[in-house]
Amino acid sequence: MSEQVVPIDVSQPKQRQPLLRRRYALEVRQQMAWYWQALILAAALAVGLAISALILIAAGVPGGELLNEFVIMTVFDAQSLQAVLFQASPMILVGLAGCMAFRARFWNLGLDGQMIWGAIGATAIVLFEVGPPALRLPLMLLTAAVCGALWALTPIVLKLRLQVSEIISTLMLNYLASYFLLHLLYGSWKDPRDSFPYSPPFQSFERLPEFFHGYSAGIPLAVVIAVFALWLIGFSRAGLYLRFVDANPKVADAVGVPLRKTILATVLLSGAMAGIAGFVITSGQEGRLTQSFYQGYGFSGILIAFLARNNPIAALVVALLIATLFVAGRSLQVFYQIPFSMVQLIQAILVICVASSDFFIRHRLRRVQGGES
Amino acid sequence: MGMKFLMRILTAALALSITAPALATEADEGLTLKGEPRIAMLYISPRNDGGWTQAFDEARLKLEERLGHRIQYVESVPENASSIRPAAERLIQRGANIIIGTAFGYSDTFEDLARRHPEVAFLNGSGTTNSRNLQSFYGRTYESQYLCGMAAAAASKSGRLGFVAANPFGQVNWTVNAFALGAQKINPDATVTVIYTGSWNDPVRERAAAAALIDRGADVIGQHVDSPTPQIVAQERGVFGTGHHRDMSEFAPAATVCSSVWVWDRFLEPELENIFAGGWKPQLDGALLSMAEGGTDIACCGPAVAEEHVSTIMAAREELLQGNKRIYQGPLYDRNGTLKIADGELPSDGELWQMDWFVKGVITQQ
Repeated sequence: MSEQVVPIDVSQPKQRQPLLRRRYALEVRQQMAWYWQALILAAALAVGLAISALILIAAGVPGGELLNEFVIMTVFDAQSLQAVLFQASPMILVGLAGCMAFRARFWNLGLDGQMIWGAIGATAIVLFEVGPPALRLPLMLLTAAVCGALWALTPIVLKLRLQVSEIISTLMLNYLASYFLLHLLYGSWKDPRDSFPYSPPFQSFERLPEFFHGYSAGIPLAVVIAVFALWLIGFSRAGLYLRFVDANPKVADAVGVPLRKTILATVLLSGAMAGIAGFVITSGQEGRLTQSFYQGYGFSGILIAFLARNNPIAALVVALLIATLFVAGRSLQVFYQIPFSMVQLIQAILVICVASSDFFIRHRLRRVQGGES
Repeated sequence: MGMKFLMRILTAALALSITAPALATEADEGLTLKGEPRIAMLYISPRNDGGWTQAFDEARLKLEERLGHRIQYVESVPENASSIRPAAERLIQRGANIIIGTAFGYSDTFEDLARRHPEVAFLNGSGTTNSRNLQSFYGRTYESQYLCGMAAAAASKSGRLGFVAANPFGQVNWTVNAFALGAQKINPDATVTVIYTGSWNDPVRERAAAAALIDRGADVIGQHVDSPTPQIVAQERGVFGTGHHRDMSEFAPAATVCSSVWVWDRFLEPELENIFAGGWKPQLDGALLSMAEGGTDIACCGPAVAEEHVSTIMAAREELLQGNKRIYQGPLYDRNGTLKIADGELPSDGELWQMDWFVKGVITQQ
């Protein structure tokens, strides 16, 4: 064996390829560091905000005023901040409700209906004068949570037992809930004083108090529930199960995760949170059961959960931002005659930008070496 | 439950009567604005909604011209506290001291805002709350709808009238009854078949309701809903109709024979001048405006109404504008023959708001 081993030069000659002849392949990325994800998300939001700013400027808002309207007048002004927090508390709650359900891969489009039932439950406690005044608010909260959860029970049972699509069942149950609300308000629950279709007003001890001068107690309540949701998802055994279910329900079932129980409990919790949102609006904002208090929140909840990627703390932040957008939008409407639909347009632009950014998180472009030689 | 409710109302009334004297002395002075008046309006719908809100916007333009003040407006403010509050507070923060609302659903929030901003004058169209610096106002729509009922019966060949109504409560029921009473003034046998759509603005259901009424033989369609749909359907089907809010002949020139229209400027102009003058005191039971006080009027009459009837209708309108005519006056019986308003008596505003009965000749779904 006298053959000489000739070392092979593995390095290919470095040759610059013309731009047009470069070839790229789209690959699915397995994972990405969280800070890169955050950066991409921030970039997407920045693009969305830039597009929105251009649209607003084109619609006649002076460019210099935008920062003033959105940041300075809204966040650093006590009254506006109150308005933002006032608006934000039910939004946080519906956002959390969305997060919970979506984590269990349950497309809960019934947040509206669950809110309505939460509000009906809370109002029933008021009208039937259940419990002493001191216990009235906790009872209303509890009943709202239970009623919201019960309204979510039908679609989840239908899904688990009969594979009925929850997208249809939850959506349709919203109509049932809203017509039942009207039935109550035009019927036995109408205000006996003037026969108008709303419930009699709640008394002071049935209304969410202000926890601090001018700031509604809805916010601390929502924050507590967000922290609870974070603990549940991030640190509890149920949260671990839920991650399995979210990743792959079939595998989760095969390795012995209590699939049905986990999904059932999570969806009921989602309903309960939406129910509490209904309670916060009726007791904290309106002071009585009204006809249309829930409108728009179901959509906002889905949007917040989506933008927050089902993370409870992110949902809290996103809900605050959306509430700021709403309040600042009112101001643009007041002073520049910008229609409110513009605010909804901005919302939609932000959603599309964030949705598109997902592509960059889940995929990467890789240059294919060699190409066609 | 009913008993407890009553008790609660009684307690509230008692509490009010105890605190009322203290408030009264405070309110005696009335409200005087600090600084130049700056007026802003909150609209519930877009200003060109073709009905309710557009009527307010038309009044705004007239008021701007006559009072010499620019009036700001905000469109599409929905009826929930979290939307009304920021809009109103921003306006106040930047100097507005007269805020005019346009929705029943603003009532509670306006009451709250009026308490927080005692130096600001609040007015609210179709509101239900009043205080020392908040005046709610609405029109006695039954007066103008009575005249439209007359026009409808005059245009009808069969005497079978249809009516598309929003929600079955006092302020709608009183237009239905008045429409029937007016129709029976022209044709004592006229009937009014009512369909409630359950919504103020639902063109799809309004279309279905109007079509169903015409299918069942109605040849004039009255309405108390926000959209012009019933008039448009009447025109498509070659029958007649009467409109609400604004002159609906804009949408159905061949069909609309009469419209009950809002003339808010006739009320708001003197009211705003009172506020400018200082010492403004709202009526604490609300301003329910008759035609004489400038709430509503009619746009009448289309060519289908014969000349003799036009003069009868216009004479009745004149009496109402002078304040010499009452629509609801005893004796009045409901359709089952129960006496509702005794001979020689006039119903109180409270009884009118509570109206849940119908006069002879009104046919409803129930």
